[in-house]
Amino acid sequence: MAAGPVVKKIMDTYKGKVRLIIKNYPYKYRDYSHIAAEASLAAADQGKYWEMHNLLLKNSPKLDRESLVTYAKELGLDLKIFTAAIDSKKHAAEIERDKKLAFDRDLYNTPTYFINGRKVVGNRSYEYLKQIIEEELKSAKK
Amino acid sequence: MRRNSRRTERLRLRFRLRKIVSSPISTLVFFLTLALTLPCLSFAGHLEPFKSVPIPKNNSQTPEKIELGKKLFFDRRLSGDGTMSCATCHVPEQGYADGQDISQSYPTTRNWRNSQTLYNVGMYKSLFHDGRVKTLEEQALFPMMSAFEMNQNLDFVEEEIRVVPEYLEAFKKVFGGEPTRERIAMAIAAFERTIVSLNAPYDKYLKGDVNALSGDAKKGLDIFKGKGKCIECHHGPNLSDDKYYALNVPENLALADDPRVTATMRFVAKVYHYPNYRDLKEDPGRYLITKKQGDWKAFRTPTVREVSRTGPYMHNGVFASLDEVIEFFNSGGGKGNRYLKPLGLSADEKKELKAFLVDALSGEELKITYPDVP
Repeated sequence: MAAGPVVKKIMDTYKGKVRLIIKNYPYKYRDYSHIAAEASLAAADQGKYWEMHNLLLKNSPKLDRESLVTYAKELGLDLKIFTAAIDSKKHAAEIERDKKLAFDRDLYNTPTYFINGRKVVGNRSYEYLKQIIEEELKSAKK
Repeated sequence: MRRNSRRTERLRLRFRLRKIVSSPISTLVFFLTLALTLPCLSFAGHLEPFKSVPIPKNNSQTPEKIELGKKLFFDRRLSGDGTMSCATCHVPEQGYADGQDISQSYPTTRNWRNSQTLYNVGMYKSLFHDGRVKTLEEQALFPMMSAFEMNQNLDFVEEEIRVVPEYLEAFKKVFGGEPTRERIAMAIAAFERTIVSLNAPYDKYLKGDVNALSGDAKKGLDIFKGKGKCIECHHGPNLSDDKYYALNVPENLALADDPRVTATMRFVAKVYHYPNYRDLKEDPGRYLITKKQGDWKAFRTPTVREVSRTGPYMHNGVFASLDEVIEFFNSGGGKGNRYLKPLGLSADEKKELKAFLVDALSGEELKITYPDVP
């Protein structure tokens, strides 16, 4: 069970009620985790974050540069802009900032969710997250 | 005449029966027969309140040792990549389990079993779902070494702990010497023995406070002891008989076709010398340890103390809620199992049983002060 589809379903269910902020946490001992994070953000620049996210998960651990370019092509991205972004590490500062945030908050496991400040570590089912969101929405109304 | 002879025969029979029942040897035979016909029901099938966790003679509890164990329990140095501590899978706020169907795994790998609660873990006679070790001191090192849990090298972790001055000092104070893997495990075990379910309404009730349980919970307790037959395996102060049963729990479909789980299953089977470990399609449970056919897919009876805080349930976390667990037992367990039969509980009875499990078996909140890991 990957986090992406569950999160996407939550966002569809609670359209307009829940805001999603994604932070990157490339695993330090994986060769391609940083470039994969770059690729997802480069795809986001062209409005295809989730599509790239899904392809990365589907094809992991085949995440070398050449493979990433293939995925970008598959998604119909502008390859010139995409390759320039991953080669120049366009989003490196953003990724490093996210890593520091995780370190400062003593977070080491992916995925880790914060739902209105409530910490949930590890993959969870749609029902599990839904219950927390319902509780938070209820208390927000009070 | 005939009526008289029948009456005489009946009287003779009644006399013989009275004689049999009053004879101590035959009473013993009767109870032994009963115990043999009901595999779960031992003589210890009784309920008693929690008193204390047994402390082994070779690992006495001291406040300093418990504090050291707590620090180690929360220390990520115990994992190979520094991302996992014992608390990653035994989270205080998640009932000392991790709230997931399958336990949190070492990065890039996937576990295959549910993380068990540590509540009252010091009361078990064996540990892990398959009971592969008998003491907490033995248990603590297993996840550290496990490739899909903490993936640490024990020689290396000893050195990692030895280079931390605060740890050196603490080990010297507690054990009179420097950190070793055995002492690390002893300290963690000492901390784990403090994780107990305290003052649950159920304990108060057994001690004589008749008002400790709500009406529904009282009815639930009667079902627990009677029609629900829960007591046959969940008895004694820890509400576990420490035995193993193959209840044929359904497979967790979330694990199906995940090559990481296949790798984990094959790895564990290989370690336990299962001959055709690459052909394995399901978790063999206790069989991996004993190689006895009767232990195929058998798992140890868990405690039901704090059960409402420690889901998902069963060795593979296949049931997310207590309702699903009750339904599983009510319908006679998994297909082909030889221990359970349908219980025929009504909707109200299921509700009352759940009220007992939730309300009566939840103790006071166990407050924890998080340690400053050096």
